[in-house]
Amino acid sequence: MASTVIGVGITIEGEVTSEEDVLVQGTLRGKLIAKDAVTIDHGGTVEADIASGPVAVAGNVTGNIASNDRVDLQNGARVVGNVKATRITIADGAQFKGNVDMDV
Amino acid sequence: MADRSVVGSGTFVRGRIHGTGDLEINGHVEGEVTVSGEVTVEHTGLVGAAITAQHIVVRGAVKGDLIADETVVLEPGARVVGNLRAPRITIAQGGLVRGHVQTGPASASRPRAAAASGAAVRPMPGAPPRVTSMDNTSSAASASAAMPRVDARRAQPAAGISAPSVASPIFSTGASSAASAGSVSSMSAMGGAPAAPRVTTEPSIALSQPQPSRAAASHVGPPPPVVPVLKKGTKALQKKR
Repeated sequence: MASTVIGVGITIEGEVTSEEDVLVQGTLRGKLIAKDAVTIDHGGTVEADIASGPVAVAGNVTGNIASNDRVDLQNGARVVGNVKATRITIADGAQFKGNVDMDV
Repeated sequence: MADRSVVGSGTFVRGRIHGTGDLEINGHVEGEVTVSGEVTVEHTGLVGAAITAQHIVVRGAVKGDLIADETVVLEPGARVVGNLRAPRITIAQGGLVRGHVQTGPASASRPRAAAASGAAVRPMPGAPPRVTSMDNTSSAASASAAMPRVDARRAQPAAGISAPSVASPIFSTGASSAASAGSVSSMSAMGGAPAAPRVTTEPSIALSQPQPSRAAASHVGPPPPVVPVLKKGTKALQKKR
């Protein structure tokens, strides 16, 4: 299935609304709404609120993450913002500052 | 080497996209696109933005100017409402354009240079691109990105309210020699600004418009506008109507 890739050198300032997977290797400022998975690569920077399906973060996120599925913060991830998810993993090496809401 | 970015077909980006690398657009982009590599607007792509890049290839719909440092290529299936500016421009058979087309280096952006280089292309759908210097006045006068309606109405005597007032500056300068076609396009650019709010954007980028205006243009005055110099009286008569 098609997916959206925000490449390394690209900066998007604005809203991104997607029905498919989003892979962020560059910079995104604004808002990200995806129906499917969002992956933020090691060099990716997202200064935006993210609302999506499963999220895998290995880069920088400044903003709230609201997922209807799982959120994985991998080694190298740096997240400042609240996370809302049904499942969450924070790997060794990930940096995180914010609240976690798992709708318990 | 440069990374490839993709705006997928189910994605809508509203804002500014800028950076390095190539960009492939299959979805909907609104705002501004400034990229240092190649931008490809695929068949499903809808772009409501000015695109600035090294190379631009369009197979989808674009409403906005295409400004390239090297090449602009419109392939079959391309629908563009906007100006094209690049050293080298290719419009394949089946590509649709409505706007000012200018080849030559980006720095020589004065309209006079465009008229002199004979780079204006007749914006007729389906016809193979024919680049002749004689087409300058007619195409430069009729091709204005901001005024698709004026294009059709100029041929019809019973013009709408906004059209004649905006169109008349074009006609009066269009009546003079081809050398002032430059001023035509610059005037149309200025005249287009007040008219722009009144022009509603047609959803399908007015595919049907070029044909009636092109057919109707033949009975505007003297036969097919191959001749750049039209009698001043003809246009003035039209204005009065």
